[in-house]
Amino acid sequence: MEHIRTMLPPAVLVGMVLIVGLYDPTFFSLSNFETVISDTMSLFLMATGLTLVIMMGGIDLSVQAVASMASCILAVYLPELGFLAIPLAVLGGTIAGFLSGFVSIALRIPSFIATLAAGGLVTSAAYWFSDTRSVDIAEDLTGRYLNWSVGTTAGISNDIWVGAVFLLILGVLLGATPFGRYVRAVGAQERAVIASGINVNRVKIATFMLSGTMAAVAGVMMAARLGSGSPTLANEFLLPAIAAVIVGGTAITGGVGSIWRTLVGALIIQVVRIGMTFMGVSVFIQQIIFGFILVAAVAVTMDRKKILVIK
Amino acid sequence: MALAVRTSKAGFAKWRAWAPLAVLAGLCILVSLFNSNFLTVSNSLRLLNTAAIPLVLSMGATFIILMGSIDLSVEGVIAVTAVTVSLLVANDLTGYDYGLWAVPVAIIAGGLLGLLNGVLHVRLKTPSFMTTLGVGFAGVGIATAMLGGQTVRISDQTFRALSLGRVGGVPMAIWIALAAVIVAYVIQERTRIGRWVYAIGTDETTARQAGIPIERTRILIFSLAGLFYGLGGVLSAAQFGQGHALISQGRLFTTVTAVVVGGTSLSGGVGSVLNSVVGVLIVVVLANGMVLMGVEPYIQQGVQGLLIIVAVALSLDRSRLDVVK
Repeated sequence: MEHIRTMLPPAVLVGMVLIVGLYDPTFFSLSNFETVISDTMSLFLMATGLTLVIMMGGIDLSVQAVASMASCILAVYLPELGFLAIPLAVLGGTIAGFLSGFVSIALRIPSFIATLAAGGLVTSAAYWFSDTRSVDIAEDLTGRYLNWSVGTTAGISNDIWVGAVFLLILGVLLGATPFGRYVRAVGAQERAVIASGINVNRVKIATFMLSGTMAAVAGVMMAARLGSGSPTLANEFLLPAIAAVIVGGTAITGGVGSIWRTLVGALIIQVVRIGMTFMGVSVFIQQIIFGFILVAAVAVTMDRKKILVIK
Repeated sequence: MALAVRTSKAGFAKWRAWAPLAVLAGLCILVSLFNSNFLTVSNSLRLLNTAAIPLVLSMGATFIILMGSIDLSVEGVIAVTAVTVSLLVANDLTGYDYGLWAVPVAIIAGGLLGLLNGVLHVRLKTPSFMTTLGVGFAGVGIATAMLGGQTVRISDQTFRALSLGRVGGVPMAIWIALAAVIVAYVIQERTRIGRWVYAIGTDETTARQAGIPIERTRILIFSLAGLFYGLGGVLSAAQFGQGHALISQGRLFTTVTAVVVGGTSLSGGVGSVLNSVVGVLIVVVLANGMVLMGVEPYIQQGVQGLLIIVAVALSLDRSRLDVVK
């Protein structure tokens, strides 16, 4: 089973690329692959923090709200603060993540409801920051402050470099540090981790903060690409983000998963979307299909031995 | 009997059962201090009219939360049923004009989506929040696809009277919501399935050993909830006179808030549809009060978020949860 979970997603990705390529030979070109990967990066970044939360056995239903709020903070404060608006927007996400984590842990509320509620607060904050409007980012500001996201370096779009940097950082954090081991352990067997004297609550809060932070980074990149921030900017991204994590092979029962699997998952989502668009499937039908892909992927990857009663 | 509570810690439970009602009373007093028109008949009717759709929705959601599950597909189901009914009554997009016959069709469509939730949840053994999240997104997609992204306007005035018409001076929507509450209460108190919901929510393993058909009950309850959401979708279409995929925006949040604020516990087994009536009224009075006090409407979602947190924190029976995920 574990083998299937590891190898199936990359195999699916290769298969999907081949299928789309058969229909449309122009799909097979380096520049096209680069576009596809670059287009996937904000979804991937949004899903990275979520991956950690899901590996821990929780869920974060506020990532799209956090990304939207970050886009608003960026768009509103970029003219006044310049570069500083970027860390400010990301910090907003970190605080939102802390809020979710704190509510979930201190009040012992299941994460899906804690993050649903926190998402409501975050959306209100987003409307407050943006004064309920969509806020445009002037082109000269984009050129001056957001080139690290929208420009190119060594012929490769900067989105991809940013994605690669976070893949590396979070990959090392998850694979080679005590924190990463604790996240896995909490997902696999929380009671044992508590019994071994590790401060589980601190691990959990840190994970939610990371999720908020990465959602905000994704929100900043989306705003940079679109040239505007809005309180509803990322609303459509919750489902694809969760789907990317699950399709990549991270089980919602926790304990299993990795950042690169989420990258594969995000790419699968993107290629499936391109393929469907190419075959003339409307975006509305795509949403229906993604809904069912999510349920199917959860069903396949879940470890049922860990849950006796499924609620 | 009004606010049913089933738990061992009797003293605390008694206090908890009446807390939502006390909150509602306090809130009403507070708001009427700010505005003397609050307790007039016409404002009360206006409040109840606003409460009608959330009431219908919360009836379905209560049963699901009583089982310890959750249904995040509320908005998707409403969108599908509102669009379905809009396309079947006299409208500006299709040639159909089935009048009130469109209503049962739309409600059944809601029931079918609920059935889908239940079957996927039970047969694939996937947690309800994940299953319903997926089905809910699919629902919004279905509604948008049915209209191709457009909005359909309803010209059938008989249909619109379902929400806007008045009987005995009271808007039809309130009568329909009242009927929905009565139906839900009878199901909860007078049918086997109503009792089984409590058994499953309290302790599913024991319920199974006692011979309760868990799977069938779960599927039935999810379908039942879909029927209630379907009715909510019909009322939405009748109220706004149009159908589009975004007609349900914000409904999920309000519904979950109302159910948990009313005192139904997310861990299952504790609560009642009558608790949700109180919960809906709390949410509606609070929203109305905020408008009267000049609070920006977008703050309301944040306030509801806070309400969820406070209500869940107060109502969760933590003795039954050793690890909170």
